[in-house]
Amino acid sequence: MSELATPAASVAAVPRRMRWLWYLAAAAVIAVLPLVFTDSYWRTNLIVCAINVLLAIGLDFILGYAGQLNLGQSAFYGIGAYVSTLLIIRLGVPFWPAFLCGVAAAGISGMLLSLFAVRLRGHYLAIASLGFAVITYEILLNWISLTQGPLGIYAIQPPPPLVLPGLAAIEFGNLANLFYLVAAFALLAYWLLDQLVRSPVGETLTAIREDEVSAASLGINCRAWKVFAFGIGSAIAGAAGCFYASFIGTLVPDAFFITGSFTMLAMVVIGGMGTLIGPVAGAILLTVLPEVLRGIGDARLIIYGIALTLVVLFMPGGMVQAARLMAARVRRRLPQRGLAADARP
Amino acid sequence: MLTVVLQQGINGIVVGSLYVLVALGLTLIYGILVQINFAHADIVTFGAFAAYFSMHLFGGSYLAAVAVAVVVGAVLGWITNALIFAPLRERGSELLPLIATIGVSVTLENAMLAWFGPIPYAFETPYSNQVIRFGFGFITLQNLFIIVVSALTIGALYAFLKFTFVGKALRAVSQDRETAGLMGINPNQLIMLTFVIASALAGMGGAMLGPVLVLTPFAGTSVILKAFAIVIIGGFGNVEGTIIAGLLIGLIESYTTQFLNPGLIDIVVFALLLLTLAVRPTGLIAERREENV
Repeated sequence: MSELATPAASVAAVPRRMRWLWYLAAAAVIAVLPLVFTDSYWRTNLIVCAINVLLAIGLDFILGYAGQLNLGQSAFYGIGAYVSTLLIIRLGVPFWPAFLCGVAAAGISGMLLSLFAVRLRGHYLAIASLGFAVITYEILLNWISLTQGPLGIYAIQPPPPLVLPGLAAIEFGNLANLFYLVAAFALLAYWLLDQLVRSPVGETLTAIREDEVSAASLGINCRAWKVFAFGIGSAIAGAAGCFYASFIGTLVPDAFFITGSFTMLAMVVIGGMGTLIGPVAGAILLTVLPEVLRGIGDARLIIYGIALTLVVLFMPGGMVQAARLMAARVRRRLPQRGLAADARP
Repeated sequence: MLTVVLQQGINGIVVGSLYVLVALGLTLIYGILVQINFAHADIVTFGAFAAYFSMHLFGGSYLAAVAVAVVVGAVLGWITNALIFAPLRERGSELLPLIATIGVSVTLENAMLAWFGPIPYAFETPYSNQVIRFGFGFITLQNLFIIVVSALTIGALYAFLKFTFVGKALRAVSQDRETAGLMGINPNQLIMLTFVIASALAGMGGAMLGPVLVLTPFAGTSVILKAFAIVIIGGFGNVEGTIIAGLLIGLIESYTTQFLNPGLIDIVVFALLLLTLAVRPTGLIAERREENV
């Protein structure tokens, strides 16, 4: 398991007091992005990016920190989307209570799966979560009276505007507004996870990841913490699902097929598991890259697969490890170059 | 009614013995390496397409096509071990090889989708339309071929593991790699051999699945999900348990199709998987390996 422990903690090199500057910079970037990308095509992609960031950091909390390979993230995503949408269109529940229910449903199913598989780790958990994803997909596909099966749920109305005191109303129908909402939520989730992983909770989870037996011998309740990590990670995926449904307007089971879990896994691993900034970078890269290289079309997944394999083989810390190596090399070269210049007669 | 039960029983055994071929490969690899090869699915699909194309390009013999699939599978297994598992073995990580083979599987599946397209191939063998009738029902010659070839292969594998020196060495390595190494057994060669045998079985399974199931680039994936369920229900690394569980899943699938709804197959199979994990995570047959449970 030690391979999962990429030099994660060294992000903490940024002094604690300075960290709010990064959040400020991130908020500024989020504020500017829809102003730079004014066409609806790119604004749509921005929202997809924000949703994928949510999915990736949620998965990373389970995989990178708690060390549990969760291949069921696509199911939690789907549960969030379907539960919130069905509550809205069948029972007329307002959006935000339905959102909370979607998040809770995804979180609770994550905790139940983790409880069910509580004695399992490693491969068994991976396959149990894959099985859970297959069952969820098949239920969405076959429970036609509830989900309309493969026909899907069409023409989902965007929720009414969210009016925050002191701010303009946030219109769901407006892509820039919706991006602000989802991105703000992603930033909030990132901040929450960041606080968690820097607290003793993060150290506890890392201890379980590295060596469960030793962790248990220190009096850590491994089961409870794994269930906790699963609950948080899957609830975040559920939130992503609620936003997805409100934005895309159409729900079909195929959006939540197990391929989605593999894509999210690729985002986390390529970005750098066991760090929070890595999956964010991975999610953005894997969302934007296929749009930039538009010619590749269906080859998108081929490229994800190759990249995933190569990263595991040669750079298990992903983009974060690559960036650190590059930074270290630059740092090493700069004074050396100075010395070489001095040595020249 | 009884006729239907018996007839579906035959169909279940046909499908089940194919599942056993695929699942045995996973079990062998898990037994010796405690690793899961996710790309096993794509070796099955490659085997099916290799058999299909060799029959259609070189004309005729289905037996030769199965042999081609076995060779293709063996070569792919050797490559998988050499490129993925052998380099990662030194790092001693539990999950990285699994993640890497998920990457390989996603790549191969979508590459095959690009080459062969999503439209199912009609894989008809000379035996597909020959029907043997007997007392209560019928069986196509193709299905009889599948049962006989699978039974012979599984029997031969079982005898190989039980009675030959190499087979005993394989079991020794899977029980305790270091002690086996001290006895002069080279684990790396045996791991390579295991991958070749396991993947040859997958290739053979693919060549025989092609004519029975729908042949698309996703054929292997749908089978592998059930194969995962089978190896867990049978007890990971346990050959006897895998054979029993494979036939059981084949029968369950067949009766679910007949008496319930084909759409429920995966739900039933995976519910059984989750139930096994919750109630008896060592599988049907109790097993020595406890550390992963």
